[in-house]
Amino acid sequence: MCTMYCPRPVVDTYNERLDITRAPHIDYAQAIPSSYYIDARACLRVNYETCNLCAQTCTAGAIDFTEQPKELVLNVGAVVLAPGFGRVDEKVLEKFGYGRYPDVLTAFEFERLTCASGPSEGHIVRPSDNRPPKKIAFLQCIGSRDETCGNGYCSSVCCMYAIKEASVAKEHEPDVDISIFFMDVRTMGKGFDDARKRAQQKYGINVVRARVPRVDEVDGRLALTWTTGDGEHHSGLFDMVVLSVGLESPEDAGLISQVADIELNHYNFCRTSVDAPLVSSRNGVLVAGAFQGPKDIPESVTQASGAAAIASELLADSRNSETVTVTYPDEDKSLEEEEPRIGVFVCHCGVNIAGVVDVKAVRDYAGTLPGVVLYEDTLYSCSQDALKSIAEKIKDNRLNRVVISACSPRTHEPLFQETLRSIGLNPALVEMANIRDQCAWVHAQEPERATEKAKDLVRMAVAKARLLAPLDQPTVDVTPTALVIGGGAAGMSAALSIADQGYNVVLVEKGRSLGGNLKRLTWTLDGQDASMVLKDMVEKVKAHKNIDVLTSAKVESVSGYVGNFTSTISRGGKTEMINHGVIVLATGGREYKPKGYAYGESTRVVTQLELEEKLSRGKGFLKNARNVVMIQCVGSRGEDMTHCSRLCCTQAVKNALKLKDLKPELNIFIFYRDMRTYGFYEDLYREARRKGVKFIRYTLVRKPEVIKQPRGIMVKAFDELIGDDIEIPASLVVLSAGISPGENEELSRIIKAPLTPEGFFLEAHAKLRPVEVAVDGVYLCGLAHGPKSLEESVAQAKAAAAKAAIPLAKGKVAVAPIVSRVNQDLCIGCGICESLCPFSAITLEKVGKRKKAQTITASCKGCGICASHCPTIAISMGGFTDEAIMAQIHAFSPEGCKEG
Amino acid sequence: MAQENVLEKENEMAQEGFEPRILGFFCHWCCYAAADSAGVSRYQYPPNVRVIRVMCTGRIDIRFILEAFRCGADGVFTGG
Amino acid sequence: MAKSGSILVLGGGVAGVQTALDLSDLGYYVYLVEKKASIGGVMAQLDKTFPTNDCSL
Repeated sequence: MCTMYCPRPVVDTYNERLDITRAPHIDYAQAIPSSYYIDARACLRVNYETCNLCAQTCTAGAIDFTEQPKELVLNVGAVVLAPGFGRVDEKVLEKFGYGRYPDVLTAFEFERLTCASGPSEGHIVRPSDNRPPKKIAFLQCIGSRDETCGNGYCSSVCCMYAIKEASVAKEHEPDVDISIFFMDVRTMGKGFDDARKRAQQKYGINVVRARVPRVDEVDGRLALTWTTGDGEHHSGLFDMVVLSVGLESPEDAGLISQVADIELNHYNFCRTSVDAPLVSSRNGVLVAGAFQGPKDIPESVTQASGAAAIASELLADSRNSETVTVTYPDEDKSLEEEEPRIGVFVCHCGVNIAGVVDVKAVRDYAGTLPGVVLYEDTLYSCSQDALKSIAEKIKDNRLNRVVISACSPRTHEPLFQETLRSIGLNPALVEMANIRDQCAWVHAQEPERATEKAKDLVRMAVAKARLLAPLDQPTVDVTPTALVIGGGAAGMSAALSIADQGYNVVLVEKGRSLGGNLKRLTWTLDGQDASMVLKDMVEKVKAHKNIDVLTSAKVESVSGYVGNFTSTISRGGKTEMINHGVIVLATGGREYKPKGYAYGESTRVVTQLELEEKLSRGKGFLKNARNVVMIQCVGSRGEDMTHCSRLCCTQAVKNALKLKDLKPELNIFIFYRDMRTYGFYEDLYREARRKGVKFIRYTLVRKPEVIKQPRGIMVKAFDELIGDDIEIPASLVVLSAGISPGENEELSRIIKAPLTPEGFFLEAHAKLRPVEVAVDGVYLCGLAHGPKSLEESVAQAKAAAAKAAIPLAKGKVAVAPIVSRVNQDLCIGCGICESLCPFSAITLEKVGKRKKAQTITASCKGCGICASHCPTIAISMGGFTDEAIMAQIHAFSPEGCKEG
Repeated sequence: MAQENVLEKENEMAQEGFEPRILGFFCHWCCYAAADSAGVSRYQYPPNVRVIRVMCTGRIDIRFILEAFRCGADGVFTGG
Repeated sequence: MAKSGSILVLGGGVAGVQTALDLSDLGYYVYLVEKKASIGGVMAQLDKTFPTNDCSL
């Protein structure tokens, strides 16, 4: 209402200024909190003390212009900084015609154009004439890898988001021609290279390796010129240009640094170190997300959990000291057992439902259904006020079943279940009819038929509600111990964090000593002595009273479920059993063993890690060296393994710089496919070029060859710029061997944790649950998850430690009550259910003389396969009983359908 | 359904304007979720389906499907 | 003196929200501070996310 009456239009910043809204508005329908707010910069009342229309029209009386800003003083034990990133200055974009030509957009603006709820309802149109563009160009590295604007770093995410936006655009408009202009294609995230290849093949997106210097307008179209790697000049006309703008430090980074008293790095991001990537320069102030350095969603989420772990370590003694525990009244069992007294609440959801469905008609219809004693409509059922009022009405009318006819139970059922609990009713006694997401929203043009459908859905929900029964809320106790598998940098970091948070850890390492790949590393990517980092970690682990280290040990079997696992560990011919509540997988990875390139045939051909081992013993081996050749992507990116190993580019550059330090006159050649020195590592790449390291691009079709000769080694390769083969006599050839997964197959089988096609462990959700595994209570970090740097492994280990500590901290795991229950009087012990259960949650046990099925409540996910296949109908599903579903089926017909 | 009833039904379906009544069994984790996000994205589709949410299509007993047809469903949609 | 069991999280984007959720699950009281009217940050402006193409909201 307020938005409707406001006379003051403002640009809609949520839609990247492509749309107009009013001073009081809500950014988007799903915003949390879901209340409207007033843009104070535009409001007439705030600025000129006039108007006040919105306050008068607000039916809820929710607008109060007398409210003043308040200052709060909070006493906290730790601070986590997660202010995100800032935008590249528009002055930088002006060089590319932004602001001058309307059809030059930022990628953020383009993202809104592709969105169905965006300003153009998902139609990709040119702002100049509202017509769909035929040719679109994406320009990469705008405001990134560009020292002229002060951003020498790589923003790490733009290559991938450009490919995503191009793919989405192709899905909307298959005929549009899209070219993306890359310097290097940096899709080094887990699964990203694969996704990029699929996008290129499926949608035919053109990949051009060139940097476009400027954008001009010719006859209403946008003219670009560029130079490719072979030295050829090109030009082309486009209808739309999308600028893949980078991520900057937040605008208020300076202020944050001052207020929080923390140091920033030379790009104004929070300064951290490789071995403590989430810790700022001030004790107790932690950092997560893009403020620590440009990064994508899964990495931000990982760092977020990691920062939580560190805060939890710092404040372990004060855990639960300030949290508020909700208490519930006892259940009114006698009321629950009475004949169903059903209350139906039909929600308007503002205009979301009421704009299509005749809510009052549905409400009145509900009143005609058997068992319904109360039927009402509510404006927003989920608002705090409405919940209170619903609770009161349930009490006043002694309702014992409730039907909420509103949105999706997937999102809102817990809220209404909570309401029932708060007044002493079992939460299983509420049923929802989804008349918004699956009715009003999808039948917007057919209000009458949508209303009919809503009535049907309510009738079916009421029929089910009549048969709802209270369900127990089972919980199981948690063994406060974590099993960490793998004693490398990730495993040790995870173990230390869990132990510092106050829980026991059993750390199992298959090798004779702790350290994993860190033992072979000489320097970290930020130049620290890797052996010191290792020594420090190992000492802390060994000295920690909560950590039990088992080396030369192997996990033979794991049984149980979250909270109560039992594992068998074999060690020196003996086995022991360990009880634990959670599992952290940190099994690591290995340096790929190169095939070809004369590796193993000549001592002059080594891997990067072997080079580091040589370097750590001094520079003697460089005495007669003149030319060093490095070859990237050995084993990676389709050569043998499909994935990109992510850090070999940076590692090569780091080692090249080290060689240059030791012997400046050395010629170093690096043959690469795309240099993927993402984030601040770009600084190292630039430094290497400045110091004369030569970078030569190659493609899979014309790979460099290493030829063993009687007196040394020759590297033969095609140089794109010269257009011919070159030959380099090499004193040393260094192969940037990728990272291959460890031996994960056996463990994957034991734990039932799935692997990716490459053999790394698969996370529960690529974006939002990056350190969890599909099996509850099992977490993941380090190279076991995929190639990553030491810094990223440590952050991920902390994140896994946070997730693993959650069940340990709670002490109990709640089990969803919608589990299967076996009526053992009916069970004939046939075992069909046991063999079908995908979660091993049903076992046959001897009861008296016969075997009977029994559900392991904590493992059951409530899928109901057992119930639908039981020949004697002995299995019932909580909340989804045969009777309830049958009642819904019978209520499907408006006339009703009697039992047949 | 008796033979003549089936024929009658087919006849009815052949007529223009026939609107089938479909009963859907949607898996909570995938199809039901997808139907929700279809709503969030405001995709439009005909209002002929009524939905019963189950926690997995594995829950669907053959008896449910037969019962749905007996109760007048012209089609049963299982989504999982 | 015992340390406070509360934590201030600055920023309500995906990182801030995730930190806050984990901390409250770990038994701490969280103050989540966001300068805008709603949480979600830039992720709420994204249409789809790669490579799963899930809706961001």
